[in-house]
Amino acid sequence: MSADRPAASRRMVNVVIDGSALSVPEGTLVVEAAKLAGTSVPVYCYHPKMDPVGLCRICLVEIEKTPKLQIACATRVTEGMVVHTSSERVAQARNGVLEFLLLNHPLDCPICDKGGECDLQDFTMSYGPGLSRLTEPKLHKPKRVDLGPTIVLDEERCILCRRCTRFDDEIAQERNLVVIDRGHRSLIGTSDGGPYRSYFSGNTTEICPVGALTSKAYRFRARPWDLTHADSVCAQCSVGCNFRIDSRFGRIMRTFTRENLEIDDGWICDRGRYTFNYLYEPTRLRRPLMRRGDDLAECSLDDAAALCAEKLGPAARAGRVGVIGGGRLSDEEAFALQAFARQVLGTNNIDYRVHLQKFASPARFGARLIDIDDASLVLMFGAYTPEQAPILDLRLRRAVARHHTQLMYIGPYRPHLPVEAQYVEYTPGAIADLMMQLADTVHQGRTESGDGFVADIARRLAQAEKIIAVHNGRDPASVSALDRLLETLAGYNHRVGVLVVGSQGNARGAEAAGCVPNLGPGYAPCSGEAGMTTGEMLKAAADGALDALFIAGANPALTFADGALARRALENVPFLAVAEQVLTETAALADIVFPTASFAEKRGHVTNLEGRRQAFGQAVEPPVDVLSDAEIIALVARAMGHAESVSPQPAALLAGLVRAESAAERSVGDLLPRAKVDAVQPAAVEKVDATHRTFTIIPVPHLYSGGGAVAHDPGTAPMRPRPYAIVNPEDAARVGVVPGERLTLSGSGGSIDVEARVGPQAPVGVALVLADMPEAPANKLLDASGFGTATISKAASVPEQRSLERVSA
Amino acid sequence: MATFEPVLTKGVGQLDLTDVAAYRKNGGFVALEKALKDMTPESIIAEVTASNLRGRGGAGFPTGKKWGFLPKDGRPRYLVCNCDEAEPGTFKDHMLLEQTPLQLIEGLILSAYAINAAHIVVYIRGEFLEGYRIFMRALSAAREAGYVGDNLLGSGYSADILVHRGAGAYICGEETAMLESIEGKRGEPRLKPPFPANAGLFGMPTVVNNVETLCCIPHILTRGAAWFASIGPPKSPGPKIISVSGQVQKPGNYEIPMGLPAGELLQDYAGGLLPGRTLKAIQPGGGSSAAIFAEDLHTGIDYDSLAAKQTMLGSGGFVVMDDTTCMVRASMTLVRFFEYESCGQCTPCREGGQWVHRILRRLEAGEGSDADLLVLNTINDTLTGTNLCPLGDSIMPFLLSVLRRFPQEFAEHVTLAGCPFDPARRMVAA
Ligand SMILES: Cc1cc2nc3c(=O)[nH]c(=O)nc-3n(C[C@H](O)[C@H](O)[C@H](O)COP(=O)(O)O)c2cc1C
Ligand code: SF4
Ligand code: SF4
Ligand code: SF4
Ligand code: FES
Repeated sequence: MSADRPAASRRMVNVVIDGSALSVPEGTLVVEAAKLAGTSVPVYCYHPKMDPVGLCRICLVEIEKTPKLQIACATRVTEGMVVHTSSERVAQARNGVLEFLLLNHPLDCPICDKGGECDLQDFTMSYGPGLSRLTEPKLHKPKRVDLGPTIVLDEERCILCRRCTRFDDEIAQERNLVVIDRGHRSLIGTSDGGPYRSYFSGNTTEICPVGALTSKAYRFRARPWDLTHADSVCAQCSVGCNFRIDSRFGRIMRTFTRENLEIDDGWICDRGRYTFNYLYEPTRLRRPLMRRGDDLAECSLDDAAALCAEKLGPAARAGRVGVIGGGRLSDEEAFALQAFARQVLGTNNIDYRVHLQKFASPARFGARLIDIDDASLVLMFGAYTPEQAPILDLRLRRAVARHHTQLMYIGPYRPHLPVEAQYVEYTPGAIADLMMQLADTVHQGRTESGDGFVADIARRLAQAEKIIAVHNGRDPASVSALDRLLETLAGYNHRVGVLVVGSQGNARGAEAAGCVPNLGPGYAPCSGEAGMTTGEMLKAAADGALDALFIAGANPALTFADGALARRALENVPFLAVAEQVLTETAALADIVFPTASFAEKRGHVTNLEGRRQAFGQAVEPPVDVLSDAEIIALVARAMGHAESVSPQPAALLAGLVRAESAAERSVGDLLPRAKVDAVQPAAVEKVDATHRTFTIIPVPHLYSGGGAVAHDPGTAPMRPRPYAIVNPEDAARVGVVPGERLTLSGSGGSIDVEARVGPQAPVGVALVLADMPEAPANKLLDASGFGTATISKAASVPEQRSLERVSA
Repeated sequence: MATFEPVLTKGVGQLDLTDVAAYRKNGGFVALEKALKDMTPESIIAEVTASNLRGRGGAGFPTGKKWGFLPKDGRPRYLVCNCDEAEPGTFKDHMLLEQTPLQLIEGLILSAYAINAAHIVVYIRGEFLEGYRIFMRALSAAREAGYVGDNLLGSGYSADILVHRGAGAYICGEETAMLESIEGKRGEPRLKPPFPANAGLFGMPTVVNNVETLCCIPHILTRGAAWFASIGPPKSPGPKIISVSGQVQKPGNYEIPMGLPAGELLQDYAGGLLPGRTLKAIQPGGGSSAAIFAEDLHTGIDYDSLAAKQTMLGSGGFVVMDDTTCMVRASMTLVRFFEYESCGQCTPCREGGQWVHRILRRLEAGEGSDADLLVLNTINDTLTGTNLCPLGDSIMPFLLSVLRRFPQEFAEHVTLAGCPFDPARRMVAA
């Protein structure tokens, strides 16, 4: 339960509900007290996560000594209160409210998605009238309203409880979903009349007590009683929201929240909710592929494993082999992958990092997500939670809106946030320096006197009782400078904490399982010399110094900062094996491609950004030839004659991981050892000559970008952005960029075509380029620092429409 | 004939009271000058409390007591003037706004001084365009004359008035809906508690008062609480403007002493019924009030006397209906108003209102049935008393009072398959 509800103090009061006496905290809502008393009061507008509004009036109860019936959802208990939830008067009122609600209701339960789990159906059965006394035609309202990319609205089914509009206001803080018109003519719509676009829209379909808000992905697909439920955890980002996968006859129909108060508070984002239909697209890999000249042709699993063994064996013996991946595997599989590298291939050349991220965990001051709730100040840099950790962002929005948490965002461009935030323009390369200055200022107690904005931030820090830093572990220098700052603050009795947003869903799990070149499971230093980082492996492969690469659940061709290097490496390496669910840019370059199972098709654990290991269950069976990553790794290991080194079984792998971790615990102290990093530092963004057409390129994240599942999912396709670059209006005027036109950006690694956008969030001299889009890979323009430069010109060609059925490159 | 000497409407119709000099000559600004010089806010509140002034907006809540509810916690306070008058049959605030805007301004400044308000907001019904213009002119005149603005009359007290125009929603007259509307949100009543005194405009302690209530304040301060309390019944005293409309000789606004018998208002002020007609029903307190009938004409027009008759003084809209009025049609017209104006938050108000309206419309059109009458007779139990704000509870009172009084008239609409007051149908029936 979020802490801001006018909660319930600790003082207990005695109440009697339907004859049973109990003692509950003073101020508890009658509706909640009734639950404790073992009875339930029907509700429509009330939702425990939102402020009571008392509109629908279904929850009227009788309270002794109060003449009128009172609404249980907004009345708070007081000492000696005697409540009747099922007296004659209450029954009459409920019956009346239901009669009113049903008057013009279309009663299309037989074709309604909600049928079987609908509060209007259920309460009518329990408390409602059997017959309608309406003797005239029902009033009609629009049906099948296309509310936005994810939702179809049936206004006739809507009972105007306003949970959806309040969700959009109170929880999402976006205020786009509103009630239009008045009285019984009220409709649900958007404030600007445009589509309802929100990363959290799917939640409204769940909290809608009736079948008014239906999810496009699930509309007319199944009946609730036909669904099989499996408890799972979303692995689309590092927040690790708990959810449920509902399937019918072995096919996923929908996903549903599974409240975990400490993680998701009962919500999930639309990327997590809707990214599953790619599994049923033709682009989903179902058979192993083997290279035949320019093409990839289907082969058997055994042949694929045999070829791997044949190529990996000699490469391993020569010490010219590398393994990349882990951040998109389960904890068990990440453990298996590093075991495969270290025990089967005999190398420490293993790395899960294929983005800019260097660390997935804080070395110290690790925080929990709930620490955001009562933080006085949240300091964010590097990470951008609205796009990279949506449900964390939801928590943050609420903290800012409801608890006066200050949000300070430090970064190279102005963020687009729905809540108030202080923006400090700073280039990533200079943030370490800023942290050091802040640490000094705080330490020397100069916060009261100094001027300039460093002193100003230091003053805010000094005034903040609890400070939570959120970053993406990209820049080791700023991370250690942050630690210094936090240590100083902690020394002055501030509460401090750090959350590191993972670049991949299980980045932290991969790090903890030992998918880094110098650390084994549990952060214990690995035996032997540290291996190569991803960057080093790619460099070696590009230079002909590696003979084979094994990549599982990673797409460096698209995501690695220096895209040109990545592509050169993957093209040049003599043997490349990739385990993937769809033919990514990386898989398309492989000699062997293993089709892998999705999280829904296997079981195991994932570790979220807090370091919390959570179990997920299997919802459906994978296609016949599709194995889990662990099974693939074990298959290859067996083909290499190392069957004993890697088990395909999650239970055995977990046992091994836990054993290794507890062994490591003895040697690893409070300070988590750090993974080996490349020498490259994030560059300071340099302002370029204003007369030039050359721009500094800063890649920007988007929830629906990426070359894997989301690129092939029909459910998320309408939300997917088209590649774009944003330039400052000043630059646009200077070089003649018109919004909407096609631009060609040319850099060291090639050129990409994007749509031009103009906006003040781009600093002068900078082009903000949408990252991780296969049709226009921004990493072609970047170097290892994650930044780059490119010249901008008008595109010659028309944009090519990307179809879902992609042919291999 | 009426002998009561008008207080609030003194000079109205004779003098141009929008002019500062004329208003002063009529006795205006005496109270303000006196209060800013000699009275503390506490003593003003004490005086208003002693006068037993009850709010003229409809609910009749004691004004002094309302002011006293404001928490003393240092937060800024707001005074909001409710000039959204849209209750059917009510047009007194409209008149006060147009005819004596300076009296309202004086009342506002005095009240703001009494409760130490940081800001004053006047919410004027959107349709009162002329009233709004007159008020704005009067406001700048008052500002120029030093009655509004900084350091009023050298007292060190500053107050300015902000005007917010409504956009045509009756519900915005409900005080919390009004606050939402001023805040730029959808005008809909809030769930209470918290009450405006604790969390009103922008969450700050707020007093909402009706135009006529505020206009009483200068007079209480010049002539004293005892004088005010001596007019009419001690528990609901004072002068009161009643808007008389309907089938009378002289409809209009009349200022009466509280407690005046309804029959005297009808005869002595409004000139009685039209020739040859008999009285059928009167709504004494606007469209929301239940009807009184011929035998109730001795009832005093004040809060308590009317409450004893199961109706209310409400906004003071006195709607007279004679024997030529069809009660089904009258009810239908009123219910149509409420169902159209319902904000739609509450299920009973939103759905019940439109249902009752459709039934009445059908009855009036001759398509009703006994089943419809049964619904009308029973729906009150679930429609009234189950809503968030009083609008939902205003749908049924008049209908129910005339349905109980004239059941045969409703039944006739079914048996005749039409309205017996429709001349064509009367011929057919005969
Ligand atoms: C639906 C509805 C409409 C109302 N309209 C008005 C109005 O137009 N003017 C008004 O003064 N009070 C109106 N009220 C009453 C106000 O809510 C409030 O009680 C009043 O402004 C308080 O002022 P008073 O204490 O001076 O009477 C309305 C109430 C309801 C429920
Ligand atoms: S669409 Fe659903 S959640 Fe929204 S108001 Fe209607 S019934 Fe309630
Ligand atoms: S926030 Fe992250 S973990 Fe949660 S549902 Fe969205 S993608 Fe999944
Ligand atoms: S009673 Fe009617 S007008 Fe009042 S809040 Fe409810 S729906 Fe709105
Ligand atoms: S649940 Fe209480 S009024 Fe809607």
